Amino acid sequence: MNARAVNVDPALAQVAKGRALRFMRDGSDEPVQRPISWAMVRRLYDYSSRHKRLRALLFVFVAIRAVQVPLVTWIIGKVVGGPIAEGNFTNVLWGVAAFVGFELFTEIVCIYRSRWAMLFGEAIVHDVRNDMHRHIMSMPLSFFQKRKVGRFISRMTSDVDAVRTGVQDVVFVSVVQAGQAIVGAVMMAYYDWKLFLVMLALVPILWAITRYFRSRLIQAYRQVQESFSRVTATLVESVTGIRVIQGFVREKYNGYLFEELIVDHSTYNMQVTKQSAAFLPLLEFNGQLFLAVLLVLGGFQALHGDVSLATIIQFLFMSNLFFSAIPAIGGQYTNALTSMAGAERVFDLLDTKPDWSDTPSAQHLPTLKGRVEFRDVSFEYAPGRPVLRNVSFSAEPGQTIALVGPTGSGKSTLIKLVGRLYLPSTGAVLVDGVDSKEIHGESFAHQVGTVPQDNFLFSGTVRENIRMSRPEASDADVENAVRSLGLWDLVSELPKGFDTDVGEGGGSLSLGQRQLICFARALLPDPRIIILDEATSSVDAVTEARLQLALQKLLAGRTSFVIAHRLSTIRHADTILVMRDGEIIERGKHAELVQQKGAYFELHRQFIGG
Amino acid sequence: MSPKERSPDGLTAEAASNAQVLLRLLKLAWRHRVRCLLVLSLQSLLLLLGVWGLSFGGIGVDVIRHHLQAGAPLPRWPLGLAPPASLDTWHTLLALSGLILAMALFRGCLTYVYSIQAGKLVHMDVVPAVRADVYAKLQRLSFRFFDAHASGSIINRVTRDVQLLRSFVDGVVIQGVIMALSLLLYAAYMFLTHPGLTAASLILSPVLAIITNRFSKWAQPEYAKNRKLVDDMVLRIAEGTKGIHVLKVFGQERKEHERFVERNLAVKEQQTAIFRAVSVYGPSVQFLSQLNVAVLLGYGGWLVCEKELTLGSLIVFTGLLQQFGVQVRTMATVVDVLQQSLSGARRVFEVLDAQVEVQSPSAPVRPSRIQGALKFENVSFAFGPEQAALNDITFELKPGQCVAILGGTGSGKSTLLSLIPRFYDPTAGRVLLDGVDLRSLDLDILRRNVGVVFQESLLFSATVAENIAFGKPDASQGDIERAAKVARVHDFIMSLPEGYNTLLQEAATNLSGGQKQRIAIARAILLEPAILLLDDPTASVDPDTEHEVLEAVDSATANRTTFIVAHRLSTLRRADIILVLKDGRIVQRGTHAELMEQSGLYSRTARLQTGDFDDLGLLASGGIS
Repeated sequence: MNARAVNVDPALAQVAKGRALRFMRDGSDEPVQRPISWAMVRRLYDYSSRHKRLRALLFVFVAIRAVQVPLVTWIIGKVVGGPIAEGNFTNVLWGVAAFVGFELFTEIVCIYRSRWAMLFGEAIVHDVRNDMHRHIMSMPLSFFQKRKVGRFISRMTSDVDAVRTGVQDVVFVSVVQAGQAIVGAVMMAYYDWKLFLVMLALVPILWAITRYFRSRLIQAYRQVQESFSRVTATLVESVTGIRVIQGFVREKYNGYLFEELIVDHSTYNMQVTKQSAAFLPLLEFNGQLFLAVLLVLGGFQALHGDVSLATIIQFLFMSNLFFSAIPAIGGQYTNALTSMAGAERVFDLLDTKPDWSDTPSAQHLPTLKGRVEFRDVSFEYAPGRPVLRNVSFSAEPGQTIALVGPTGSGKSTLIKLVGRLYLPSTGAVLVDGVDSKEIHGESFAHQVGTVPQDNFLFSGTVRENIRMSRPEASDADVENAVRSLGLWDLVSELPKGFDTDVGEGGGSLSLGQRQLICFARALLPDPRIIILDEATSSVDAVTEARLQLALQKLLAGRTSFVIAHRLSTIRHADTILVMRDGEIIERGKHAELVQQKGAYFELHRQFIGG
Repeated sequence: MSPKERSPDGLTAEAASNAQVLLRLLKLAWRHRVRCLLVLSLQSLLLLLGVWGLSFGGIGVDVIRHHLQAGAPLPRWPLGLAPPASLDTWHTLLALSGLILAMALFRGCLTYVYSIQAGKLVHMDVVPAVRADVYAKLQRLSFRFFDAHASGSIINRVTRDVQLLRSFVDGVVIQGVIMALSLLLYAAYMFLTHPGLTAASLILSPVLAIITNRFSKWAQPEYAKNRKLVDDMVLRIAEGTKGIHVLKVFGQERKEHERFVERNLAVKEQQTAIFRAVSVYGPSVQFLSQLNVAVLLGYGGWLVCEKELTLGSLIVFTGLLQQFGVQVRTMATVVDVLQQSLSGARRVFEVLDAQVEVQSPSAPVRPSRIQGALKFENVSFAFGPEQAALNDITFELKPGQCVAILGGTGSGKSTLLSLIPRFYDPTAGRVLLDGVDLRSLDLDILRRNVGVVFQESLLFSATVAENIAFGKPDASQGDIERAAKVARVHDFIMSLPEGYNTLLQEAATNLSGGQKQRIAIARAILLEPAILLLDDPTASVDPDTEHEVLEAVDSATANRTTFIVAHRLSTLRRADIILVLKDGRIVQRGTHAELMEQSGLYSRTARLQTGDFDDLGLLASGGIS
């Protein structure tokens, strides 16, 4: 097991030093805690009103429990300090009977109190997740470009769970604990207020200790998580990049880098250990301190007849109750801060207004003819940085428009405007004469077929992926789409045909296969408009030929917009738009443009490698 | 998990029996025996002190009671430590309080030391060592291992499974011993005080133990199911947001939301079942332990009435009984942890025991200079039975020659390349470098002399300079820049905000395909390898920037034996020899001019690219057979 001890290379280890620890990982800039804000509490309360009945029941049971718990303890103390100490066995039996009966009642209440609390928490979590998901789905594409997938996931998991803790535990546990402490306090004060005051003096100390350590612990935990995410991220790279690592004989050096990360991680783990190693004994010490004080003071008074033995015994039992409540509430306070941070992020997301959405007067489109016109369209993602400038052109039904131009010339943006993923900043995009701003988004999208550049597939089967564009399509429809593209044998070659799992992100298929499935997916709704961002990756010659054949069938008779990388596509186009810096600099058919000997001619020459 | 069961990722070849794994884990614990023993003895001491300390409060009560109530029995001092009779009640109480405080202080310090030592045992002794070992081993494992296992499962072995394994040390060995010791100690103490009362008040404990175990057996699969459902839901979120552009263009957001709602509901419904069980279980267990208290109060109360037991002892009993209940409940946890740590350990050991297939021979040939003459002699390769990838490949290259390889998906191009740096070894035939079988060469020397540019550039989270110096972390800035210039990427790097010190984010998403690939080329030539392998370097590069990469390729391949997998004519033309592969065999070979003369896959592909489309249908159907 001691493989790493062999062949130590100190010089190499020196080079590795400090290099692994520089990266901040996603999410480490989000605050873990936020101060309690009553507006937020209020909002959470309102949010939970969908479950009013459950919430009301919970409050009732929590209140009952807050009184019950100290009463159980009180009965024990009463029996011990009373009948038992006095030697009255009959009363002892009565006491025991009362204890068992009351305890049974308490536990039955507890069953419902904890069940309802968990159901309540889960219900809220469930609602929040649904609301967030619905909200996210309704956002325009621009929303997603500014955010990482990981953020959405943490909103829906860790942040929602923080909210769960807030609604399920913080309030109710605090109420029970506080009730316990208060009832205990009242009883103790009733039995002997002087002794009680002494005990009260210990409360601030206990509270301070709890707060001090809790806040340090949470910091340390955070660092543990951060350092661990560095370990994991490095590990992921090491596994996915193993070919490079072995190809470049990096095993040993990487070992040094990794070791540094693990040591870093264990240092933070030790910090947590140190904090809690001091925290817990201090809590315990407090209890013992009170015991000592109780014996001295209580004993002194008892010896002088000011206090009965029964009182001291009650204090012994009750004080425990009282003291255990304080760190428990302290813990809940920490939870509350964490859930505030979680709730804030959740509501922030829910409150984010979409940049745009369908206007209330938006028209449901009838079946399109497929005429698309750009009228003096300009577009900018960020103010002052136009990506498209005064673009005008029109595509008649059934025409193919090919877009060519260097990276960053605005081709992708242009087709996104055609697909209504964005609205123009100025000017208008008209579909069959209707301004895209006035269109009902879904009715439009159902008539547009898109093949994205990344050939994104969802995990699931080939069939499910094709059907994704028209969920109500029958199996026969799906199969017909594939057949009409001439791809039947390709699907039937797959291990399970249409039921082959494509793997996460389509990972178990080849690039060519993925593209072909995307074609079928785009064809299935029989769209009037096709938007195609040809994949830049090259595939082998045979697949390439099939792709081109399928492509011809896909585009036939539909208005299509193609960011083309294939000469065949470009040559077949009715109009080629040559773009540079957000403007159309040349337009025309292939032959015309070649004749012009302008920008297109240059691109073409470069492409065919002449 | 039974030993014969396969782990969920389908890994276990021949699973070790529980006993074997257990033995090995114990050996691991034994390696850290000094600290283990220290931790255990500290804990035992703490337990003793704890029980002892608990009795003081009771004694205090008895002292007061004895003073107040005529006829009340004398307090029972532990270990015969009774104070001298001359000490009056008041001073006894003072002394007692002092003792309690002193004990508490001592215990507190001891607990602190204990926690630190236990933390060190886990976080500094066990985990880093195992993790580093597994990682070191992973890095050296052959590609077959990585082919066979999903990357997620491999990663989990270093993270989660190591954690599970370590829980054997703190969760099973230490926790188990503590549990056993404290149960013994509590029972002994109570027994010494009053055997009958002990028996009576512990009578329900076995029931408690059984219920706890039953429940945890029931709950484990339920929780596993819950994690699975939550994973499903998270996957939906991940895909829905990653694929949002697809959902939007097809107008399927509502449908996607319905799918999500379904999964979200499944989580909730399954949780509800768990909640029902948990909410009954907790209070039931609590009620049972309180019944113990009731028995204690009744029977113990009678004993006190009969003066067979002091009141203080009864109070101490109440406390002990609670502690006892806690320990009984940890029994279930220890059993759970034992099972989990065994399955985690099994997966960790699998990695540590995995065979490294490709290794340096024991007496390797270490040539001082490599010329770069390569020869494939009847080479065949198969990933497994009936998974032949290469069939009887024979060809020869002189130093400095360039060979281009053309072929469809699965024709064996990448496999052929990966035999050269010995990512795999041929199943038949041999590959010779400068006349020496690759398998007799020193592996590190071989790999340092083979520069590889992969299809996807695979850059790492580090600075640009570190990425270029990947194969030689101590390379000088001059070396790095020279390589960058050869790869035609120096000017681009200088235009970055921090030049060579610019940090590349994960997967270098901030760079274009062409930029990444040129950095990858610089990385490959930094070591001045005699042989350069380029596996379709323009595959994921935008056609607009493809020529930049090709220029870099041109300048990098000068004076090196070069293998290049390519589809584009512009690249194929430059090669000295072109090999056309189909189904793992060489079907055509020759120069561009020669191959254009023949009618075959090559000339058809070429014509397709120059814009002659008559062959499209022919080519498309020709590839299916």
